Amino acid sequence: MRALTYQGPFKVRVENKPDPRLEHPQDVILKVTRTAICGSDLHLLHGLVPDTRVGHTFGHEFTGVVEELGSEVTQLRKGDRVVVPFNISCGTCFYCQRGLTASCENSNPSSDVACGVYGYSHTTGGYDGGQAEYVRVPFADVGPLKIPDGMEDEEALFLGDILPTGYMGAEMGEIKGGETVVVFGAGPVGLFAMRSAWLMGAGRVIAVDCVQYRLDFAERYAKVETVNFREVDDIVLYLKDLFDGRGPDVCIDAVGMEAEGSVGQRVLGLGLKLEAGAPTVLTWCIDTVRKGGNVSIVGVYGPPWNLMPIGTAMNKGLTLRMNQCNVRRYMTHLLQHIREGRIDAKGIITHRFSLEDAPKAYHLFAQKQDGCVKCVLTPGHA
Amino acid sequence: MPDRPIPGAAADLEPSSRPGVPMERAPQPMAGARMPIRPQHSDVRVFKHKGRAGFPPVFGTAQPPRGLSGLLRKVAYGYPDHWARHWMILLLADRVDVWEHRLARAAPWAVPTAGVLALTGVAWRKWARA
Ligand SMILES: NC(=O)c1ccc[n+]([C@@H]2O[C@H](COP(=O)([O-])OP(=O)(O)OC[C@H]3O[C@@H](n4cnc5c(N)ncnc54)[C@H](O)[C@@H]3O)[C@@H](O)[C@H]2O)c1
Ligand SMILES: [Zn+2]
Ligand SMILES: [Zn+2]
Repeated sequence: MRALTYQGPFKVRVENKPDPRLEHPQDVILKVTRTAICGSDLHLLHGLVPDTRVGHTFGHEFTGVVEELGSEVTQLRKGDRVVVPFNISCGTCFYCQRGLTASCENSNPSSDVACGVYGYSHTTGGYDGGQAEYVRVPFADVGPLKIPDGMEDEEALFLGDILPTGYMGAEMGEIKGGETVVVFGAGPVGLFAMRSAWLMGAGRVIAVDCVQYRLDFAERYAKVETVNFREVDDIVLYLKDLFDGRGPDVCIDAVGMEAEGSVGQRVLGLGLKLEAGAPTVLTWCIDTVRKGGNVSIVGVYGPPWNLMPIGTAMNKGLTLRMNQCNVRRYMTHLLQHIREGRIDAKGIITHRFSLEDAPKAYHLFAQKQDGCVKCVLTPGHA
Repeated sequence: MPDRPIPGAAADLEPSSRPGVPMERAPQPMAGARMPIRPQHSDVRVFKHKGRAGFPPVFGTAQPPRGLSGLLRKVAYGYPDHWARHWMILLLADRVDVWEHRLARAAPWAVPTAGVLALTGVAWRKWARA
């Protein structure tokens, strides 16, 4: 089959590799119909995720058609169209039973930090991902959601990752009605966090980024106020001042380990690798949010450590909440929001490419060129 | 509350309408889940980090470890994942992996070219001495 493969930092290409096979009775093989590039893939592309092996196929956001079924799969039939959560969750372990599907203990031998994830290095289990013509999907009766007849694949695609992630970002902010919410990062995850904050009854939502076209997009798509942090002297003071000098009730970090904005953190974390990336936005969230407020972290950070102001958080009495998204819990609910017109998920797609052009798509998305917000790839056979 | 600027505003105002509230719910198997999970068999080498008791029943088998990078990865997985050296050795192994692949790709032309250069060097020195 044709598949995207990792060749080393900043380098991916599309090449032939063997088709995946059923390796467990609860597996299915999916023929991929649509697959997206996520902000998380950029951390892999940039060589920041430990145990990313040359030849690895990325891709944890995809829809597909069931092609081959393992002997124990009962809920799916050949030909079913499905969207798949990025977490590989068994449905029966201690964590899955409690709804913490991102912490499943039955899919990742390599680390206790996270469960198995498609196409996300050997640190999350060594599964090849969906930026390919075919992909192996374990625990197929638990994860995949059937796409309703009449709904396009692209409308359902983001149920596998960024839509639930943005939603969970707002949910962890514990909005009760009328709160002021600042979302750092106007990428796909941030955009869905903004829309979700409105769904939960936020009173005022402000987006922070440094890429002007993305802020303009957020203003249109999520009806938020925006700030370009490069255009103000001190983003923390600026935001505090907006809210009576106290700061907002909730700050959401939808940026993660590759944040711009602090040379020191970038040198330490991305250059010298003395910490796991640049926790600039996490620091800004803690400094900006009002005392007793809520910081919700969905931007990805990695082990083993980061330089962040835990003392400030402690003294301000903050609540910090964070997680990889427990995707499966949110899919049905958010599908309903899409169907009833409360969320236009497909509306964030700005670029479509064939799988063959994936390296170009990565470049565009990573460099924030040509107004790129979200890239979707289509394999040749789809 | 200010004007409702976008469709569905406050539709999920009620916390009980949010799928992840409370984050940890009373234990119950997920729809479609099957017990017991049969263990996956694999012919390729898959590492388990030292802090984990047993192998999980399901795992990925992509890109089995090879060469010097494989050896380094084996060393890294000999440490539990709360040890910084586990991660540092993995990052080192990743760089070695890239160089191994570059060398392997360069070998078909690099080896003959190096041979020709060496022979030319020897011939030239002989000729210069003569
Ligand atoms: N928790 C999860 O389950 C989960 C799931 C999906 C993605 N993520 C993570 O969410 C993050 C965002 O994903 P995305 O797809 O939107 O990525 P993206 O790279 O498209 O967006 C990130 C945005 O942050 C902006 N940014 C950079 N520095 C900033 C700063 N200091 N302040 C404000 N904005 C800044 C960038 O300009 C960019 O627009 C990534 O870290 C990704 O790994 C987490
Ligand atoms: Zn993702
Ligand atoms: Zn589980």
